Amino acid sequence: MARSSKIHVGLEIGTSKTCIVVGEVKPDTAVKILGIGTTKTAGVRKGEIYDFPQASACLKDALVKAEDSSDVEIGSVYLAVTGSHIQGLNSRGTFRLPEGQSIVAPEHVEEARTIARDIHIPQDHVHLHPIIRKYLLDDLEHKTSPVGLYGKTVEADFHIVHGIGNRIQNSIALVRKALLEVDDIVFSPIATAQMALDQEQRERGALVIDIGGGTTDYALYMEGAIAASGCIPVGGDHITNDIHLVTGLAFSKSEKLKIMEGDASADPARSVGVAKLIDDRGFAEVEVRRSILNEIIRQRLEETLRLVRQRLPEDSVKAIGAGIFLTGGTSLMRGFGELAFEVFGRDIYRPEPPEISGVQASFKDPQYATAIGLIRYAQILETERAAPPGLFGKITRLFWPFGK
Amino acid sequence: MIPYHRELQLTIPSSAVKIIGLGGAGANMLERVALDGTEGAALLAINTDARTLAACVASDKIQLGRNLTKGLGAGGDPELGHQAMLEAEAEIREALRGCRIVFLCVGLGGGTGSGAAPVITRIAREEGAFVVVFATMPFAFEGRRRRDQAETTLNELAVLANALVTFDNNRMGELVLAKQGIHEAFSAADRMICESIKAVIRLVIRPGLINIGLDDLMSALRTNRSRCLFGSGIAKGKDRAASALRNALSSPLLDQGALLKEAQTVLVHLSGGEDLTLYEVELLMQRLQKFVPESAHVLFGAVIDPTMGDNLSVTLISALPEDSLAAAPRDTGGSSSDNSGRDTGDAGVAADNALDERVATSPAAKARRSAAQPAGTGNVALFTHEVLAETPVEVLDEGLAEAPVEAAPEEEPAADPSEMSENSSPFGQPFVFKPVKRAPVAATAPWEKPMPATMADSQDAEGEPSVAGLDAGPAAHTNAADPVTAASPNDPDAPKLKLGVKSQTLQNELAFDATPRGRFEGQTPNVVDGEDLDLPPFLRKKK
Repeated sequence: MARSSKIHVGLEIGTSKTCIVVGEVKPDTAVKILGIGTTKTAGVRKGEIYDFPQASACLKDALVKAEDSSDVEIGSVYLAVTGSHIQGLNSRGTFRLPEGQSIVAPEHVEEARTIARDIHIPQDHVHLHPIIRKYLLDDLEHKTSPVGLYGKTVEADFHIVHGIGNRIQNSIALVRKALLEVDDIVFSPIATAQMALDQEQRERGALVIDIGGGTTDYALYMEGAIAASGCIPVGGDHITNDIHLVTGLAFSKSEKLKIMEGDASADPARSVGVAKLIDDRGFAEVEVRRSILNEIIRQRLEETLRLVRQRLPEDSVKAIGAGIFLTGGTSLMRGFGELAFEVFGRDIYRPEPPEISGVQASFKDPQYATAIGLIRYAQILETERAAPPGLFGKITRLFWPFGK
Repeated sequence: MIPYHRELQLTIPSSAVKIIGLGGAGANMLERVALDGTEGAALLAINTDARTLAACVASDKIQLGRNLTKGLGAGGDPELGHQAMLEAEAEIREALRGCRIVFLCVGLGGGTGSGAAPVITRIAREEGAFVVVFATMPFAFEGRRRRDQAETTLNELAVLANALVTFDNNRMGELVLAKQGIHEAFSAADRMICESIKAVIRLVIRPGLINIGLDDLMSALRTNRSRCLFGSGIAKGKDRAASALRNALSSPLLDQGALLKEAQTVLVHLSGGEDLTLYEVELLMQRLQKFVPESAHVLFGAVIDPTMGDNLSVTLISALPEDSLAAAPRDTGGSSSDNSGRDTGDAGVAADNALDERVATSPAAKARRSAAQPAGTGNVALFTHEVLAETPVEVLDEGLAEAPVEAAPEEEPAADPSEMSENSSPFGQPFVFKPVKRAPVAATAPWEKPMPATMADSQDAEGEPSVAGLDAGPAAHTNAADPVTAASPNDPDAPKLKLGVKSQTLQNELAFDATPRGRFEGQTPNVVDGEDLDLPPFLRKKK
């Protein structure tokens, strides 16, 4: 059997939950989710591990659940990482062909690539992904390597994601401790985008914003290739914390209030009256004026979205054709779509909370977007690797264009 | 009875401290110094380039080579810089007249800096100032030629200056600012230099509870061809001793304290409010021990400064020999360090030696060294010691040797009247250098030395500007100061004295207001664009 179905596992250690998704990739490239193991995370803050043993215990718990539900023994995973130290930036390498040569040779492209990837990053940082965005041959854009074409200068445009080496190493160490191998490390928003965006949307320009418990990750795609990515260390935890700080309620109550009653739209009609939490005996335990509660939530989320907007390349928001895709647990906040529209002025796509529970429902649940995206990522990587190793194939294999 | 004037202060009047920025790089450093505000120092900019000079913020400016370069720069030619300098020599001499301490900031490698620095240093020395040169070495990418020019000048400066602190731009780049823009890089380098200038001034000007002076500084900087290690940190609140030290060690020049591992002499200067406790000092020094080799010579000083409030600041100064240039001979000189506390002078002395070749070398030097130590309290003009040395040295030394550093090292030994009196006679003649009016004073001076106050008087009498006074400055930072100030640095009463002194207002640091941060309590602030993202925007925006 030349092509059999293959099982991939995606692991995301998020700030609020650890999530393992087991997926089977069929020969026809369809993905079937076999099982999901998820558990509340402890020991992670703002996307970064601060309590190793606790995080490790959570991982083991999720692992057991995932193996149970999927009936698969998990040996290796694709790991999503995030954290405010991880940044994406674009870099272009230019190589001028030597005198007398007018046909682009593979080594010329290679040289341009090397130059592009040789960017100045802080000493303790390492490259996570060098992603080729496009090539330019005499200022003319080429989607694929221009080897064999006539030209004078070759340019390679890369999107490079880098982060602090030690912290990434620690994430890997955590997984290894659970006796799992790490197939590959993926920056979270890039994985999420695999799940959230299709090719057409990437061509038209799309922004994925994944607002999780501790971080807000974003990835911008323009003209089929990634144009920006990054992480802002603010998430749903901050909203809970804000409610706690402003109203003085306990964390658990704040969290509940946020989920049950919160609304991020500035709609005054939704800010009338008092939000109450009713305890078991029917008494109102907590009462907070909706106008205050909603204002706290709205200001936090608005600020976060504006920070994302600030970090995008100039004028890129206008160029987003397909729209903005919100995922992550916090994107379930009521009124968040309206708020996002107010900030970006683009079409907003937002997953609806699933009506039914069960494995199938997870597809739609934005909380699993990243982990499922990892499976897609693995699948694409797999097909790239399976490609016949011609000269062209070899190069694309090394630098798999995520634009595809 | 010996009169003792309490109001006498140990400060060096600001008019007697001058910071000179020479050339383009020097002007930049000066700018930084001016921006940060220095208490008690006059600024002087010297340049060939009239345009740069006009843009400089310094109150005094001198243009070099009015006729020679006609207001243009020296074009990277040290010879031209040198000639231009000679043209303005009189003017500069005038400007430096009466200065006790001169800090010369210069970027080596170019025309003006490299050409004129040695001349200015010489003039300042001749005018009787104690000269500390802060020199930056050019970047490697500036080319071999500039590097060579810089090296040549550096060698000259090593001979001429009392103390030489070298900052290597290459080092700066690699340690500090890998990710920052070039503009940032240079301003950070300037800031670093400015910080150290200020630290030195503070050190020299303020009398301490446990005193530390220029002599200590010189021995910390020891080698002439060295890279300066410098770190300064301030902290308040619980655990301030530890965090102040941590802040100091986070200086890029210290590389988290890793570089201190090789240091041979480390100067530690503590400054705290009135609530500074011995326990804190102990704690801090204990922690520091972990970063400093056991064999290292730790020069410790402390100051009570009421304006510090509940802040505690630590300054670390040391030097590493740049590669093998480490001055071996000087080290041997350092052997005099046998007297626990003050091996004070060696660096300084060494430098001095070098300085005047005219002065008898080896024996004199030795003599001086020994003498210098007693000088601890300072005051003794380095030069005078030579003479001194011949006779009383041994006695002095012994006396000294016993005195442990910590215990107000300077005073005690010196205080021994009998010994002192012995010395006194030789003391009289020694003022080899322009003894000027000193001779008469001399008689009294020696035994009064122990009593700082009188010392001051004596100096007064002398009409202090004499070189000797000057030199004294380095030795015991304070006395050199000027008649008024000369008091007992280590005097037990010193702190009280200071109370009066410290009126200079020190602006307190603005702290983040201590809003509760909920579950993010105690974490490093998550600051973006000057806003702490961990605080609710709801609260932040309302304000």
